[in-house]
Amino acid sequence: MNFDLTPEQKEIQRLARQFATEQILPRAAEWDRNETYPAEMVQAAADLGLLNIGIPEEYGGLGLGMLEEALIGEELGYACMGFDTIILASDLAVVPLKLAGTDEQKKRFFPGLVKGLGAFCLSEADNGSDAAAMKTKAEFVGDEIVVNGTKMWITNGGVCSTYVVLCRTEHAQGHLGTVCVVVPGDAPGVSHNKLHGKMGQRCSYTAEVIFENVRVPKSNMLGGIGDGFKIAMKTLDRTRITVAAGSLGVARRALDESVKYARTRHAFGAPISNLQAIQFKLADMKMGLDTSRLQTHYAAWLVDNDRPHAQASAIAKCRASDVAFSAAAEAIQVHGGYGYMNDFPVEKLLRDVKLNQIYEGTNEIQRVVVARSLLR
Amino acid sequence: MKICTILKQVPDAEASIRTSGDRVDLSGVTFVMDGMDEYGVEEAIRLREGGAQVEIVALALGPKRFEDAIRTSLAIGADRAVHIETDETYDAISQARILAEAVKKEGAELVFVGGKEADWDSAALGPALAEVLGWPHVDWTTKLALSGAAVEATHDTDSGTETVKVALPAVITTQQGLNEPRYPTLPNIMKAKRKELRKAQPADYGAATALTRLTGEAIQVKTRLNKLFSGDAVESATALVNALRNEAKVL
Ligand SMILES: Cc1cc2nc3c(=O)[nH]c(=O)nc-3n(C[C@H](O)[C@H](O)[C@H](O)COP(=O)(O)OP(=O)(O)OC[C@H]3O[C@@H](n4cnc5c(N)ncnc54)[C@H](O)[C@@H]3O)c2cc1C
Repeated sequence: MNFDLTPEQKEIQRLARQFATEQILPRAAEWDRNETYPAEMVQAAADLGLLNIGIPEEYGGLGLGMLEEALIGEELGYACMGFDTIILASDLAVVPLKLAGTDEQKKRFFPGLVKGLGAFCLSEADNGSDAAAMKTKAEFVGDEIVVNGTKMWITNGGVCSTYVVLCRTEHAQGHLGTVCVVVPGDAPGVSHNKLHGKMGQRCSYTAEVIFENVRVPKSNMLGGIGDGFKIAMKTLDRTRITVAAGSLGVARRALDESVKYARTRHAFGAPISNLQAIQFKLADMKMGLDTSRLQTHYAAWLVDNDRPHAQASAIAKCRASDVAFSAAAEAIQVHGGYGYMNDFPVEKLLRDVKLNQIYEGTNEIQRVVVARSLLR
Repeated sequence: MKICTILKQVPDAEASIRTSGDRVDLSGVTFVMDGMDEYGVEEAIRLREGGAQVEIVALALGPKRFEDAIRTSLAIGADRAVHIETDETYDAISQARILAEAVKKEGAELVFVGGKEADWDSAALGPALAEVLGWPHVDWTTKLALSGAAVEATHDTDSGTETVKVALPAVITTQQGLNEPRYPTLPNIMKAKRKELRKAQPADYGAATALTRLTGEAIQVKTRLNKLFSGDAVESATALVNALRNEAKVL
């Protein structure tokens, strides 16, 4: 067993940390307040090569793994979980191509994703956890697929270069009739409405995406008819590790802010860090952070070494986001009244990280996945 | 032309430094490339981007952990690196003697050294290196341009700045303002994996023996007097001025 990062992994971590603390962190509060989508910084991240790092080298990418992705995710999450989501949700469009794309499809679609964002369209207004109940339709007309329907809650919807869309055909009911289709961001018939009023992660661009008679070549289908749902689930089995990673960043930030504040805030003639009640909160945050990081890196290692990873990634995502949520809540408590105000960064941590318990499969669904694998 | 950029690794500026016994305890501290040294690497890359034919060699003298800083320099754009690995603590003069040999062996004509090291605050290495090499040097450089077989450099003086022209070979010490160091990119981090990082020992360069021996380290601790002046504004201001003049002796 070896817990050392490789020299390259250390460099990637260092770069991500430097970029996140120098460029993202100082701007995050303002983006949050104004619901600003930080297009320039997304471009800057892409220019540094931090975007879609999993694209294989033979298709113009860096061919890096889930562990590298987790290292980057933690650093971005530390600075701003919303920005983290923009960059890492893009991976949701890369993974299906990696898992189910043919060489021809990879050649066609990966180059656009080297510097451009991807978006993954699974959820709809009436179905999220029950994804197989999707209604968006794919019809085969000659050599084309015609897509009709509306997807909901789509991260990067409207600002991406490539959509991966899950739809249903008339061939069969349930997940048996599902297909996974690549739709270029500028395809005629695609439109979107930006969703306003998110509780947190307010700089990430979330949209309702409408597909109205969108025609793409049949060769844009990944896998075959009936494979859509399977591809989506296999994708999420991997990408939720990035949600875990972002959660680690939030938890680490909550801890750092709490330690800093507890040392300087005085009550009853001494720093509050002298109070055991405060010390235990800090200790609990650290225990949660370190144990969920181990699980997250383990799950990433399983993916990178082609081992079964569905259960491990569900555990990582659920644990890390629960840990981060309670760390953020405790960070507010450590800050007392100031923690409740947006002059301090901790209330944003809580608002941001709430989403980590919901998207890419709610934490209830993660528990369902784990329990199912126990009782099989 | 070959350029050597000398670099070292120092504790991250955020690190809280402790002592253990009579030594600084660096366990658990995060290390980074000295920020001053980054200016040197960046400047060398800019000379290349400005059209000069250069090979950039990162040169470091220090313990194994320096490797991380060396790799950072390769990722930013140095072409190859030489790491003279040692656990010995050398003073600036002995460091300069070893590094001068290495610079000569590399056949470099231009050497960048950080103006001042971030950990021990010494600014001696650059001038000492120039002295051993018998080369001219420019300290605290804020602007640099190649002109033929010379460099034109602007640097800080006590009363302002001056611009000088020195013939190559020369030693330049860097400081904030010289440039804005770039981030390495992920593709360059991966490419750096294939760049040469040659290991060497002080003995390969004549192994100067340290002139000074470290016998103890301590950290300066500032304590507050927590003195409060009462009375109205005039009274308390008078008391403050008196204290600053007579006790602190700063006025
Ligand atoms: C900001 C944001 C960004 C998002 N980005 C994307 C995106 O890029 N792409 C995308 O496709 N989707 C995205 N989503 C959608 C997200 O994945 C869904 O919201 C999530 O999967 C939950 O689905 P739902 O909202 O329909 O909740 P529901 O499925 O209606 O769930 C409601 C509640 O019931 C619980 N529940 C449901 N079924 C079960 C069960 N079997 N056992 C136990 N409990 C259950 C849930 O855990 C939850 O507590 C995003 C959502 C948000 C808010």
